[in-house]
Amino acid sequence: MFLISMIIWATALLGAVMTVWALSWAVKRGEFRNPRQGAASIFDAEEPIGRQTDFFPSIRPGARS
Amino acid sequence: MTHVPEGPAESRLEQISRIVIDASSRVPVLLWFTSSVIWLLFGSLAAMISSLKLHHPDFLGGIEWLTFGRIRPVHLDIVFFGWSCMAAIGALLWLQARLCHVRLPWPVLLSGLAMVWNVGVVVGSVAVLAGHGSSIEYLEFPAYCAPFFAIPALGVLAANVKMYLTKSSEHTYVSQWYLLAATVWLPILYVTAMLCTYFGLVQGVSQAITNWWFGHNALGLWVTPIAVATAYYLIPKVTGRPVHSYHLSLLGFWTLAIFYNWAGTHHLTGGPLPAWTITVGVVGSMMMFIPVITVAINHHMTMRGVFSMLKTSPTLRFTVFGSFMYTVASFQGSLEALRSHQEITHFTQYTIGHAHLGLYGFFSMIMFGAMYYIFPRITNNEWSSARLIKVHFWGSALGILSYGIGLCWAGWWQGTMMNNPSIPFLQIVEYIKPYLILRSISGAGMTIAHLAFALSVWRILSRHHFVMSGPTLFTTQRPPWREFVNEQNQREEIAQ
Repeated sequence: MFLISMIIWATALLGAVMTVWALSWAVKRGEFRNPRQGAASIFDAEEPIGRQTDFFPSIRPGARS
Repeated sequence: MTHVPEGPAESRLEQISRIVIDASSRVPVLLWFTSSVIWLLFGSLAAMISSLKLHHPDFLGGIEWLTFGRIRPVHLDIVFFGWSCMAAIGALLWLQARLCHVRLPWPVLLSGLAMVWNVGVVVGSVAVLAGHGSSIEYLEFPAYCAPFFAIPALGVLAANVKMYLTKSSEHTYVSQWYLLAATVWLPILYVTAMLCTYFGLVQGVSQAITNWWFGHNALGLWVTPIAVATAYYLIPKVTGRPVHSYHLSLLGFWTLAIFYNWAGTHHLTGGPLPAWTITVGVVGSMMMFIPVITVAINHHMTMRGVFSMLKTSPTLRFTVFGSFMYTVASFQGSLEALRSHQEITHFTQYTIGHAHLGLYGFFSMIMFGAMYYIFPRITNNEWSSARLIKVHFWGSALGILSYGIGLCWAGWWQGTMMNNPSIPFLQIVEYIKPYLILRSISGAGMTIAHLAFALSVWRILSRHHFVMSGPTLFTTQRPPWREFVNEQNQREEIAQ
């Protein structure tokens, strides 16, 4: 019982330490430095900004409403 | 004849890379997704039986396995462990592979873990139906079911971390924060809750606190982050517009990570707990306004000016509906934590309405949207029928709206009447009965929607209507992806 309690408390402490570490790591790595670039990181030349990428089966991609 | 995508070299390489990544996740993601859809049907069946019993108590009354005290927990557990968790894991694996620009690691292992998870849901459901369930909400499955969920959760965590550590993308997109955090939080939540409740570590009031610490966080720190991550990817990706404010999106993630964990005890307002534990829950719930408002602003502003796309994209229709319901259900949930609010709504149908607005209106709708986006890309096939998709959407949307609004309205007045000692209890029961019938009708609408969705899934998997160059697969024809995989392998060998 004591061992289980210790494991749970240690896990909780580890979780808290990991969260703080992850935040400071991300800041040092510059993850929050260029938000515009971050927001655009899911687009590329094949699926660029400005192109709709999902349609109903009955709708042709060129026919925007 | 093989149709090779044409265009600039960079564009072609990106397309090949994306197709190869999708191919790597095909078998495991299909297993997690199709299992979740099957469980959705079983969950709907259990829901209908439970709901009908509320206004027709004699319905199937002679079968002890289907008494309300068993079928209702089975509904909850199948919908949570079977539908929600399995859909969430499928979306998580596909999304993280795409965002990291790496192939999904250990596909055989992850497929095996999906089967282990399925065995857990089967064993747990049969045990609860047979009367061996506990009375601890969300943890009704017996303790011997725990390894069936804990081991796959650790496997998914390992795969997620491996993808992140080997990622070839430079930036960590906001969705990746949510996905990584969710996979870290789930094993901690589940293993801790199981150890505490089933091994006698905490008892009595403390057990109730542990129960709702787990119950609330299983929604808020596990399925919610995955759904929000999915929306943060799909809404910009489908509309072709970057997130309105990337700063806000990051603020939303970190405030969710800090505040959500504290909110669970608001489920026990009015209970025999130390007052400060409930106050902590109330404060945590109020602080949740911050991440919710950031998500609401971001999703609404990203959609501003392109709401007409909801007519043309099934993914967007479901995802935007789910995002809107996230705002509604979260605002409602935060206000519900207040003691003055709880005095009226606690122990009424209001809570049931709220829970469904959250888990169905928000989470499930976003998962449906994700599946409409992902299935064509990993099966290399097109959805067979726009009509079936529309039946699914309207059945689900109208069903959950009538369900949520009806029960919240009924629950509010039910609570108001219960606080008035001059009103006989039977009169209150008679008052809510029409709303319970409305609940069954709404549930029937959602069940029809699920059948339409399951039929669509069956058709896309069985290649009933085989089209490789449909609209959801963009404008280019995709050749058999084995050729792309070989080409990508050769390129990676040369690079090494």
